[in-house]
Amino acid sequence: MKLIRLALRNLLRQKRRSILLGSAIAFGILFITLINGFTGSFIENVGENFSNLMAGHIFIDGVEKSSSGKDLYLIDDDSRIMDAIEKSGIEYNFLTKRSEIRGTLLFEGNGINQSIVGADWEKESYFKERIILKEGTFENLSDPHGIIVSSKIAERLNVQLGDHVIVKMQTYTGQQTAGDFTIAAISIDTGLFGSISCYANILYVNELLNIGPDKYLTLGIYLNNLIDTDPVTAKLLPELEKRINLFSRETTDDGNPFMAILEQQEEEEWDGVKYRLTTINDLLSEVEEIVRILNIAGLIIMLVLFAIIMVGITNTFRMVMFERIQEIGTMRAVGMHRSEVRALFLFEAFLLAIGGIISGYILSGITMFIISRVYWGVDTPLFMLLKNGYMTFRLAPLQIILNFVIVTILTLLAAFRPADKAAKLEPALALSTEK
Amino acid sequence: MAIVSLKEVKKTYPLGKTEVHAVKGVSFEIARGDFISIAGPSGSGKSTILNMIGCIDVPTAGTVELNGQITSGLTDREITELRHKFVGFIFQSFNLIPVLNVYENIEFPLLLGRNTPDQKQRKEWTEYLIEEVGLTDWAKHRPNELSGGQRQRVAIARSLATKPELVLADEPTANLDSETSEAIIGLMKKINIEMNTTFIFSTHDPTIVELAEHIIKLKDGLIASEYRRDK
Ligand SMILES: Nc1ncnc2c1ncn2[C@@H]1O[C@H](COP(=O)(O)OP(=O)(O)OP(=O)(O)O)[C@@H](O)[C@H]1O
Ligand SMILES: [Mg+2]
Repeated sequence: MKLIRLALRNLLRQKRRSILLGSAIAFGILFITLINGFTGSFIENVGENFSNLMAGHIFIDGVEKSSSGKDLYLIDDDSRIMDAIEKSGIEYNFLTKRSEIRGTLLFEGNGINQSIVGADWEKESYFKERIILKEGTFENLSDPHGIIVSSKIAERLNVQLGDHVIVKMQTYTGQQTAGDFTIAAISIDTGLFGSISCYANILYVNELLNIGPDKYLTLGIYLNNLIDTDPVTAKLLPELEKRINLFSRETTDDGNPFMAILEQQEEEEWDGVKYRLTTINDLLSEVEEIVRILNIAGLIIMLVLFAIIMVGITNTFRMVMFERIQEIGTMRAVGMHRSEVRALFLFEAFLLAIGGIISGYILSGITMFIISRVYWGVDTPLFMLLKNGYMTFRLAPLQIILNFVIVTILTLLAAFRPADKAAKLEPALALSTEK
Repeated sequence: MAIVSLKEVKKTYPLGKTEVHAVKGVSFEIARGDFISIAGPSGSGKSTILNMIGCIDVPTAGTVELNGQITSGLTDREITELRHKFVGFIFQSFNLIPVLNVYENIEFPLLLGRNTPDQKQRKEWTEYLIEEVGLTDWAKHRPNELSGGQRQRVAIARSLATKPELVLADEPTANLDSETSEAIIGLMKKINIEMNTTFIFSTHDPTIVELAEHIIKLKDGLIASEYRRDK
């Protein structure tokens, strides 16, 4: 259409003004894209970080009621679970078997309540990629009593490499006992969650817990992908239910399955071991709430931002209409229809929107590229939101298209009234208006 | 049949609480192929009458007929189509579209409305018109690169784009020096003869008036005199 060409030239006529309006649109797009991109990867990063921290996406543990009514956690014999995993045909990256001590670490009068995770570190090779050592080496864990503590814990206990620390704890059945560890390595603190765990060898941890060497507390299934969590769970559950006594993950009114399990555990009576299956998503549902709030806040800010931009566009187009009033009169005189005048102005708004939006996306791309190159470090409170210390962005194509459409429509709406006014000008009056 | 016929046409403009009687009852006829001047002092109603003939303004009373068709009571769409097909406009201050070059300005009316002629037809006709007004070397220039006389030549060519039967020129020479003015009227006259297009132009310049064959003199919104000069 020839009108588009005329619209483009009109837009270029007042370059500075068009660039200003286009930049305002671009800035709005940049803003909303950064928020969307950040929240888009938020869940994923938090999920990945949690899964690394907890060594899995799906967790199975067993609970037994002791004679005194206390819950005792233990996977006594995992053969039926392994069978179920195999029969379900699910795909996963690896399995982790972990035991855990909750006790007090003591060193020269300093004490600290701490959980100590025991695993077979030879098998859990991925562990070495996730934990960054400040001092010492992973090889030091070949000492059966070796322990890795975070720098924060080391500082609070005032321990150094090779120091011996005592742990006061309870066995699996609740007997008081004590053990001794040697500091094998000190890891860099990964912020908020860095000091949650110390790491030791499962054999010694089991010995202290007074469970057999082949037993453990939690089986973690580490999947290839966070998003596989729900489908894999759905596949695995029926196979498990056939073989072991399992707490139901059914919830009323969309509640959290983990909460439902805890409730059953509280209320029910059972014999022997009853198993719990929990997933990373049970935890992440809380995070999703945060993301939803962030997205709503982003949307509100975007609407306010664009309301301001739209007012600017409306005013500018009104000004443009007066500036070109004789021209409009002339075009109408030589045979231009009202609809064509309106279309001409709307085309100008459309091109402005397209230009602004595309520049906005290019700008967003550059900004995200630069931000994602910045290393924030692993010992920051932001760590959970980052991917190995880098900020990442993820944008759904649908979101990009949606924002494109919304902003284009808003721009057209802003220009519509001045365009309509221009279209309805009486030609004689327009021609005789003195500027 | 007359190409233009005005019957007891009146035009009143509201002006604050009072009214301005710009045209107070004017009747005349213009024959096809006429080369007519509407003359009169400032404020005598020349522009108002031309606007009503050109269907960009409507009379308060009386009727304007173009080719026997009464122009009042048509919808804006019909009026616009009538203007597009039937009337060409030339303005005192040229009124070219600044972002279009000479060629594009002349072609512009051909791109409006429905029934746009195809590219080849447009090109042929536009180039013919450019040659006709003597601007072949200036086709790619924008209006701000042209002199006043050249701009008015572009406007003349544009007014002829849709091959209208009638061209209205409201003081086409008011912004031009006398030599250029005569050349512009001369060009209009040439086209009037070649294409048999009816030209109506207004002026208050006595020497320009004399270049017309049919002259209507206005005074205070009424016809003061009307006469034809022999060719
Ligand atoms: N839109 C309008 N509103 C009010 N009065 C108007 C309007 N247009 C014209 N008039 C008045 O109508 C009268 C005739 O105006 P018109 O423009 O037709 O005169 P004209 O002969 O073309 O004068 P000029 O030589 O100055 O162009 C003048 O008194 C003018 O002030
Ligand atoms: Mg006038």
